[in-house]
Amino acid sequence: MQAEPSQISDNDLLHAVARADESALAAVYDRYRLILFGLILRILNDRADAEDVLQEVFLQVWRRAGDFDEARGRAFTWLVTIARSRALDRLRAAGSRARRAEEAAQEPADEVGDAALDALNAEKGAIVRDALAELTDEQRKVLLLAYFEGLTQTEIAERLGDPLGTVKTRMRSGLIRLRELLAPHAN
Amino acid sequence: MEHQDYQQLLIPHSLDALEMSEARELEAHLKTCAECRAELTALRDEVGLLAHAAKPAEPGPQVRARILDAVHAERKEYRGGAAVTGQVVPIRTRANWNIWTIGLRLAAGLAFVALLIGIVVLWRREVRLRQDVAQLERQLNTQQHELARDRDALARQRELVALLNSPNGRKLEMAGAQTAQSARGAFVYDQKTGKAVFLADGLPATPADKAYELWFVPKGRSPVPGRIFTVDASGHALLPEQIPADALESFVIAITLEPKKGSAVPTLPIYLSTPSS
Repeated sequence: MQAEPSQISDNDLLHAVARADESALAAVYDRYRLILFGLILRILNDRADAEDVLQEVFLQVWRRAGDFDEARGRAFTWLVTIARSRALDRLRAAGSRARRAEEAAQEPADEVGDAALDALNAEKGAIVRDALAELTDEQRKVLLLAYFEGLTQTEIAERLGDPLGTVKTRMRSGLIRLRELLAPHAN
Repeated sequence: MEHQDYQQLLIPHSLDALEMSEARELEAHLKTCAECRAELTALRDEVGLLAHAAKPAEPGPQVRARILDAVHAERKEYRGGAAVTGQVVPIRTRANWNIWTIGLRLAAGLAFVALLIGIVVLWRREVRLRQDVAQLERQLNTQQHELARDRDALARQRELVALLNSPNGRKLEMAGAQTAQSARGAFVYDQKTGKAVFLADGLPATPADKAYELWFVPKGRSPVPGRIFTVDASGHALLPEQIPADALESFVIAITLEPKKGSAVPTLPIYLSTPSS
């Protein structure tokens, strides 16, 4: 790598990883480990499991970087999609979703403050959290259950004891509202 | 479902929150609808931002080293095969040779071999069955042939008996000539209708390219050809005959050996004949 890793775009980093550039993989790790590990930990609520999954995620990134196609979405989306699917797979394999979800609701473990993040990621994080705070509790709950617990609409309706139609409406209105709130920050 | 119905599914699908059947239907639609594909891409980018809703967390410091070591080891594995320079595209198929793929390939290989063995076994069994069927067909043909021959022989014997019993029935004895001294025969006929049965025994076996021919020799005239026949292994023959109308009054019967299709005039010597009265 010629340039400072921090100046290279996510896309270029992934293309370099696809060419088996180990230092590019290290740069991706340094840039996104906090967010990806936070995401995995939120889903699994177990540090050792989450670290295992984080390692699996980066091995998959290493092996599959050639599949990344910027025309089909952002590099960030590609990374978090892999992390989320791997973590949800582990969660399902553990087969104790309900118990773990309960624990997750108690106390998120060992988190870092925004200060530890690079400025860009910290800002994005703040914007998303602010936008989520603008949604109704019901909208937010439906979106987060789908995203962090991998529940289908039917499963969410069962979990919350709400009619399926209501869940569908909340998911839809919640995401549309989120899109409106995030639109001014899209670049 | 219409295009609008599919659009309704895009948001839940971007969160992987559809039931399996709905998701499959939508995926089928996405293959043909560029508009929905573009919309889903945009939605996934937005949904991806929800990762920020989780508090960032620091993994243990050893994780980075573990990942880079594993990656480095994998690269070394590639290098084991061929000389590789710094910038190389990982051979993904090799990377995917984990225990499962090897197991699956092995299972597929075994299944293939089993299939081949099965095909060979079935093929050989079929060949055997075909041979059995052919053999049975041959036996059946032979038996049908024998049965037909026996039925013919029976019919001739009945004719013979009927002729012998008939008030117009006559019987001529036949004796072997010089060339076939042990041969003998009989010619039984109805002197009104000319219907006859010829019976011979002890004739020499018929050569492959020859046949016996029966001749009617009316008194004072040239021989008239009768039936062409062969004998069985014991020199036996039993066959129906019809005496030509103009020979009915007075005739001599002689048997000669002729070419297979018969002759227009007899070839000497005579094998068997009625006495030349």
